[in-house]
Amino acid sequence: MEDLLEHAVQRAGSLGASYAEARYQADRNESMILKNGTAEATSRRTIRGISVRVLVKGALSFGATNVLGKRSLTDLVGKVVKGAAAAAEHVRDPIRMAPAEMMVAEHRIRPRVSFDNVTLESRLELLQEADSTAVGTAEAAGISMPGRYMSLDALTTERLVINSDGARVRSLVPRVSVNIFLTVAHPERGAMQRIVSRGEVGGWEAAERWDLPNTLAQETKVLARILHQAQAFRGGKMDVVLGPEVVGLVSHESSGHPGEGDRILGREAAQAGETYLSRDSLGLRVGSELVNVVDDPTLPRSFGHYLHDEEGVKARRRYLIKGGVINEFLHNRETAAEFGVESNASSRSVAFDREPIVRMANTFVEAGDHSLEEMLEGVRSGLYIKNFMEWNIDDRRYNQKYVGLEAYIIQDGELGPMVRNPVLEITTPGLWGAVDAVGDELELHSAYCGKGDPMQGIPVSVGGPHLRLRGVRMEGSP
Amino acid sequence: MRPWEIGEEAISVARRLGADDVAVTVTERQENMVRFANDQITVVNTLRELSANVYLCLGRRKATINVLDLSRKGIEKACREAVGMASTMPEASLYAPLPTGPFVYDEVLTRRREVPGGPERTVHWVQEAIEEAKRCGATRTAGSLTAKNVVIHLATSGDARGVAYRPSLELSIRAFGEGLASGHSLSVSPDEEGFDPRNAGREAGELAKAARDPVKGSPGTMDALLGPMVFADVVGQVGRFASAFYVDAGLSFLAGKIGEQVAAGSLDLFDDPTDPSALGHSPFDAEGTPSKRKALLEGGVFRTYLHNSSTAAKFEVESTGNAGLITPMPYSLQVGAGRGSLEDLLSQMEQGIYVTNDWYLRYQNYSSGDLSFIPRDAMFLVREGKVVSSLKELRISDNVLGILKRIKALGGQRRWVRWWEVETPTLTPAALIGGVRFTASSQ
Repeated sequence: MEDLLEHAVQRAGSLGASYAEARYQADRNESMILKNGTAEATSRRTIRGISVRVLVKGALSFGATNVLGKRSLTDLVGKVVKGAAAAAEHVRDPIRMAPAEMMVAEHRIRPRVSFDNVTLESRLELLQEADSTAVGTAEAAGISMPGRYMSLDALTTERLVINSDGARVRSLVPRVSVNIFLTVAHPERGAMQRIVSRGEVGGWEAAERWDLPNTLAQETKVLARILHQAQAFRGGKMDVVLGPEVVGLVSHESSGHPGEGDRILGREAAQAGETYLSRDSLGLRVGSELVNVVDDPTLPRSFGHYLHDEEGVKARRRYLIKGGVINEFLHNRETAAEFGVESNASSRSVAFDREPIVRMANTFVEAGDHSLEEMLEGVRSGLYIKNFMEWNIDDRRYNQKYVGLEAYIIQDGELGPMVRNPVLEITTPGLWGAVDAVGDELELHSAYCGKGDPMQGIPVSVGGPHLRLRGVRMEGSP
Repeated sequence: MRPWEIGEEAISVARRLGADDVAVTVTERQENMVRFANDQITVVNTLRELSANVYLCLGRRKATINVLDLSRKGIEKACREAVGMASTMPEASLYAPLPTGPFVYDEVLTRRREVPGGPERTVHWVQEAIEEAKRCGATRTAGSLTAKNVVIHLATSGDARGVAYRPSLELSIRAFGEGLASGHSLSVSPDEEGFDPRNAGREAGELAKAARDPVKGSPGTMDALLGPMVFADVVGQVGRFASAFYVDAGLSFLAGKIGEQVAAGSLDLFDDPTDPSALGHSPFDAEGTPSKRKALLEGGVFRTYLHNSSTAAKFEVESTGNAGLITPMPYSLQVGAGRGSLEDLLSQMEQGIYVTNDWYLRYQNYSSGDLSFIPRDAMFLVREGKVVSSLKELRISDNVLGILKRIKALGGQRRWVRWWEVETPTLTPAALIGGVRFTASSQ
């Protein structure tokens, strides 16, 4: 394979490319779906092929094929260079690759328990036990659970990247993820839904550690309490404590995305959108001095883990917001050149046939020094939103909405009654600026982040500790 | 091996290994994409792919696998693997044998078709669209143009044999104007004849110019004129959640609604893969069932879920020709035209908001249809039938069936929509909706 990639890079150079990279990527996914307690199907899918990306006279071109042979690859390189040449005729501001230390490295992760050694029956048993526990818990709590959808995925990504600047990076990363969708109902109190996701780098040991039966039992008990007890919520201006699940999403949507270099340059403008930040926003205060948001691909076991990006740059922790001030943007070599900085290794691609673009990895608010109890103690009258169901944010990443699922009134520092569907609709600086306390326990949650055209849903983590917001406006649901 | 030989070989091997049902799809894909931003091409993408997928059942036990090595040896290996996987699975709750042919497919739909996709041509189209948008008032543009030629060879153990050609040209262009103004337009077509990049550029540019210097909108409940890009997103929810798979999983606001008036009487919605001029046309579904035109909404009454053979068996009906082997899906949606131009619809608004585009639609509850989505690009305050100002920073927080029930009028001019936010090709007019709930950030 290495020879083929070398051939592609050299061939592109001989055809006039000033920069060329070739990548082999194989993504293997074994997926099992359980719907309402019964297995629907199991699938095994490997997507693998070679991509080539070249720079010709300041124009960038990318191509991919799954026909793996020298002739096919030579043909592809010709087409990719031709594509760049056609675009080069209209180039006004030539695209460049920022200088970077090119890594020659290998990073192979071995799961403690490989899915190759876990039978399909065992995987199915795990899901079925979780399903029956959830259903039994629901019945015991006086509600029904008419809809259950569960998927268990074992994913392995093998990658080799070679480029004309000297990078040669090989990696093998196994991942496991579970996605569960529960619908509960009560004849008089209506229906309610909850998504439970888990994911990390590793193998079967992670799926066992998640203790899905117990996890779903706890989730079901909470859903039953919401259905039975949660009161209508009127809203008003109040102090709000956000749980780590909500904070994780906020860190991703309202700090990670707005700080992506390609988005700032308008490269995603017609798809994933733009940003309220500009290239001059470094140093801009967007939150209270307690807010520190980082993105760190190097965290072991994290769902968005990698050590070298797809341009051969070594990964490192990035401080996106430091002390409430915009500190760093996410860059690949292309956007770094435009900004006059170094790449911070944010170039990722979800498959062999997708262009590497600027992506987050594991984005979270750094932990502070307050326990949850201390945070609650400081609230005379407010709201605790532990998790959510609905959310969205505008394409400039400025106006967002989170609708709480498990949520409680806070009265004199204590959790009070549950409320239904409280709505936080707030601007990004409004949210970060209201933070007056940061929890001391960090939680990471797995997710898939969508961006690019064609769409690329890439594994990431989002997370944070609890956050307390002072004096924000909450709305009730109609 | 040639594509049709791959299908025959896989069926033969899988049957020999004990499979009762086998469906093999071989896909040849050629895609050329040009992306642009700030009026410049940012990347040219070229994709060449040949792939094969095998679905098989041992009794009611199902498995799917893709075949990497398309030689006889590779096909044998993949089939053995799939049979091994299926044999360890329990019986699926949803199962029916694959439909049995031989089938006769519409000759018009199986005719070889393709669109031009070389880089000189696609780059030229992009330049045309950019120039027209700028001429009409855009300060800058961004977007993508994709030329796709996809050929699907299908063979099943039920004697289905067919080839589907699914070409498309798709341009999405967003134009920007003064003070955070923007306008978005599309040109999408299964052939070059219906593809008009210049017109898309013009519309995006004009919208961006008209939307200059938007001001923050005030929340409230009022009439909304949803342009075709927005209404396609809304009716697309009906298409998606009409899938019997989602109904069965408790994830559909359409569960138990067959025969019910779920939308205004003026709304007809069809899934029609049989229209050869339609984006998304196809002679057959993933199981080989010949495509059918079917009403999802007729006079606002919900008529049918979308089925493959397995879901149809569970619901004791016939397949609607909408397989997905696991999840049935819509292929090509068409909303019946109303009457009048966009100006006519505007003239019916005493006070309301005209929304030209939206994104980020998310549900609070899939079974009730409570959701919100965000108006994006040009949005206008309308008073007494006239646009009076440009707006920004509002959100629609409502219920999907509520919106459809409150349709006051549908426009007479329909257009095709498919882009980043709207996956299923949809032909739709604009729609005037009463009492739409707009919300906004408070701080």
